[in-house]
Amino acid sequence: MIVVSDLWKTFNLSRQQKREKGGRSHDGTVDALAGISFSCQPGRIFSLIGPNGAGKTTTLRIIATLLKPTKGAVTVGGFDTVKQPREVKKRLGFLTGTTRLYERLTAEELVKYYADLQGLDGSEYRRRKDELFTLLDMHGFADRRIAKLSSGMRQKVSIVRTIIHDPEVVVFDEPTVGLDVITAKNIIELIRRCKEDGKTVIFSTHIMGEVSLLSDDMALIHNGKLLFNGPYKDFQSRMKKESLEEEFIRLVQGVEP
Amino acid sequence: MNKTFIVFKKEFKDTVRDRRSILFMIAIPLLVFPVLISIASGMIISQEKKAREKTLQIGTIFQGNAQEFRLKLLQREDVAITEDITLEEGRDSVKNDRLDALIFFDKDFDRSVAGMSQGGIDLYMKMTEENEIEKARVLELLSGLEDNLREKRFRKMDMNASIIKTIDINERNLATVKEQIAVAIGGFLPYLFIIFCFMGSMYPAIDLAAGEKERGTLETLLTSPVGRFQMLLGKLGVVMLAGLISALVAMLGLYLGIRRMTDIPPELLDTVMSILEWDSLLVLLSLLVPLTIFFSSLLLSLSIFARSYKEAQSIVSPLMFVVIIPAFMGLLPGMKLTVGTALIPILNVSLATKAIIAESITPAQLTAVYLSLIVLAAIGVYACSRIYGRESAIFR
Repeated sequence: MIVVSDLWKTFNLSRQQKREKGGRSHDGTVDALAGISFSCQPGRIFSLIGPNGAGKTTTLRIIATLLKPTKGAVTVGGFDTVKQPREVKKRLGFLTGTTRLYERLTAEELVKYYADLQGLDGSEYRRRKDELFTLLDMHGFADRRIAKLSSGMRQKVSIVRTIIHDPEVVVFDEPTVGLDVITAKNIIELIRRCKEDGKTVIFSTHIMGEVSLLSDDMALIHNGKLLFNGPYKDFQSRMKKESLEEEFIRLVQGVEP
Repeated sequence: MNKTFIVFKKEFKDTVRDRRSILFMIAIPLLVFPVLISIASGMIISQEKKAREKTLQIGTIFQGNAQEFRLKLLQREDVAITEDITLEEGRDSVKNDRLDALIFFDKDFDRSVAGMSQGGIDLYMKMTEENEIEKARVLELLSGLEDNLREKRFRKMDMNASIIKTIDINERNLATVKEQIAVAIGGFLPYLFIIFCFMGSMYPAIDLAAGEKERGTLETLLTSPVGRFQMLLGKLGVVMLAGLISALVAMLGLYLGIRRMTDIPPELLDTVMSILEWDSLLVLLSLLVPLTIFFSSLLLSLSIFARSYKEAQSIVSPLMFVVIIPAFMGLLPGMKLTVGTALIPILNVSLATKAIIAESITPAQLTAVYLSLIVLAAIGVYACSRIYGRESAIFR
């Protein structure tokens, strides 16, 4: 379970950013997040949507302990991301669409590296690896270096890397960005499988089709504030436009920057 | 397994599979000295041989003087003289490299010599560095003429020519061969060590910091339960090891290069080889360890600030000069290891290496060097860990 409570994140701006930004900047800083709260439940998929620069990646990075909140708190599986980051990391899988892999390692070496960092013992690692490699049909290229793999194969390696330690919470930051239809389908299946396994899943996306396909719960974030937070069905029932895209645009454009 | 060691093991594997890192860590340090030594010595030897063995083409305008000298020149096989030329023609021939030299005797040369005054000779040559050997050979011929004339003059006066020498200096060099070698190559060795240490660390550091950031793998690594300091230590270990390997491989290259040289006297070769003994090498290596830790932390700190591999390269490359200058200062004559210079990083390693080879280092000096380097390394690692803890550096 993930609980986000009154989360604030303020960044210092560079000179160039100060010139570019206007409204949200006060005294050379910008509030990337301005007091957002939501919770993600086990066995449910939580979608985080919003335009570029809304604060999605910042939220996910705070959940993954990569950034520290300026104010507020986040707990993952009951552990605080600032006070107990290691406990959080043990329970967390993190996958972003922009992440590449270590090209000079083989698929198996790469998965083993992350398994070692997660503290998996030898027999547990072998069991999980065999299970996942079989599931994703990866045995044929396990000994091949990442540099020699196709993008579809790489994405499979990324998936195994993310869930090798069987995390209870999985964070996906725009996981299908730039992927072809077939490779993106693997990710969609992974997200579904995580839900079936009772994991807590949070993912951010720009693709509205994925939102309607996967979401149990949803938050719409804009300028660091939540415009909506609740079950996806509730959002659908309140829509004033016919499609999700149009409703999204209506809500975002109706808010003053 | 310890998390730092897991990171170290993976980063090491990654680094040794990187062609660019291997090139700078092993291939260049190993080959640079054998190649340089064989090219340089081959060129020098062949140039010298050519200059010494070739027949000197000398234009002579005796104007009826120095006939004995003329006959001597005609008898020599390594000299071909051209007579019957005017001064103008001779000068043009020297300018156009048809002649190596033109010797022009004053009209009253013989008369002046006989009258106890000086006979005038004009020597026309291209006096450049590449004609050094030819110049020396011509001057040797003329000096033979001078000796001969002096002998004759003194004999005529019934005197021994040696009376003009009032003192006889016998140089007795009390410096041990090792001390002489220490000055000659001792200054060069630390320079070699320091530069290769830095160069060997540079590419792994850029790859493991900026490269990882550019690839986006740093983000996922940081979401695994490894502390930032553990991650830093793992990376630092690999960068440091790469620097040390590079320096050792360069030493091996130098050793092989020297062994291949055929014209070194055996006793000199033995002395050079004795400098490369295990105990001196271990002391040198122990100086390099803290220095490399400092280099590695500096390189990793700067590289993590960069957004890309290329940006890191442009930030880090100018640092080479910062390293070369104090390393080079150790080569300057008169620069010695004192408690003061022992505290100046890089320069202290350079000077301490010289002193270790010459076996003249004192325990106090060595301690000061170690202390200074350890403090420097500790500051480097601390600063680097602070930078790795900063969100603004990691997610710049």
